[in-house]
Amino acid sequence: MSLLSRRLPRLARQFSSSAARCLATPVADKPVLNKEFKIYRWNPDEPATKPTLQSYTIDLNQTGPMILDALIKIKNEVDPTLTFRRSCREGICGSCAMNIDGQNTLACLCRIDRNEAKDTKIYPLPHMYVVKDLVPDLTLFYKQYKSIKPYLQNPNPPADGTEFLQSPEDRKKLDGMYECILCACCSTSCPSYWWNQDEYLGPATLMQAYRWIADSRDTHTAERKEVLQNEMSLYRCHTIFNCSRTCPKGLNPALAIARIKMELAAD
Amino acid sequence: MSVRRSGLQKDVLNLYRRALRIPRTKPPPTRAKWDLMIRYTFRTKAASASPRAISVIEHLLRTGTRQVSMYEDPSVKDCWVSAEMHEWEKAQRNKRTEPH
Repeated sequence: MSLLSRRLPRLARQFSSSAARCLATPVADKPVLNKEFKIYRWNPDEPATKPTLQSYTIDLNQTGPMILDALIKIKNEVDPTLTFRRSCREGICGSCAMNIDGQNTLACLCRIDRNEAKDTKIYPLPHMYVVKDLVPDLTLFYKQYKSIKPYLQNPNPPADGTEFLQSPEDRKKLDGMYECILCACCSTSCPSYWWNQDEYLGPATLMQAYRWIADSRDTHTAERKEVLQNEMSLYRCHTIFNCSRTCPKGLNPALAIARIKMELAAD
Repeated sequence: MSVRRSGLQKDVLNLYRRALRIPRTKPPPTRAKWDLMIRYTFRTKAASASPRAISVIEHLLRTGTRQVSMYEDPSVKDCWVSAEMHEWEKAQRNKRTEPH
């Protein structure tokens, strides 16, 4: 006990002495790099006021490299009323999907453009009802996802009570589809989805539909295809490819849709 | 005889009608509370919006639809009635009984 108490002050001195002036090369203060962010604001408590773009200027050298870091800094230090969704801050949850400089992407995966002269504009996902500021209403999106029954349907589990087995080749067919995090970036970038949200399922949902059609363990393939066999659900896709261009995870929903079309045509 | 209504007016009235049908699906002791809560919520929100502010009405319609579909869930059994709602009801009744 006495040994520890004698050691402690010295330890404290050691830590405090490792200041910048004691390092081999002193750390110069980083220059101030002010960047303007223009962020869409709309408050549901005052529905009569029109949505506005609010401008925030922050020092890029005092924040992390991603747009989400800047948004969190603005919320913490400048304006606590700014509202947006975020969770994992590493591109795995899909919460922070928004329209940044005209491109739908995840704020946590989008680097800040370090050009001081140009401002960065941040909007919620286009053509979705806004709940508040950057938060879109994704109720319909999730309802559509639910409508394709995104789970394994197979009434005959293996006799020995273990898991369904799948060959490595069959498993490979699911690559590039199961990684989808349902951020809704692709669906909200699709003009067909903009105009026919109520009937067209949209690229994200269709890719998941194909993920279950392509699954070798699923026995309801025919029923799944039957549901898509109408004018609106699938065939509103006019291969615009906005979905594949915008996907922040680098997936290709347009390819999955093309494969569904091919399988439906072959039936 | 019937009044000609715009699409938006019909939507609003349909939503109100749908909401007013909720109390009868709830347990009898709570029905009066449901009825008051629904009438109060609709009337105060409707009074807050100008009849010309289309975007406001559409917004209220969207949030209202979401709220109503939540209340319609059979697992929702009861609701809470605030003092403001009781006062509002009393004022409504006085307005009705007052001689013109």
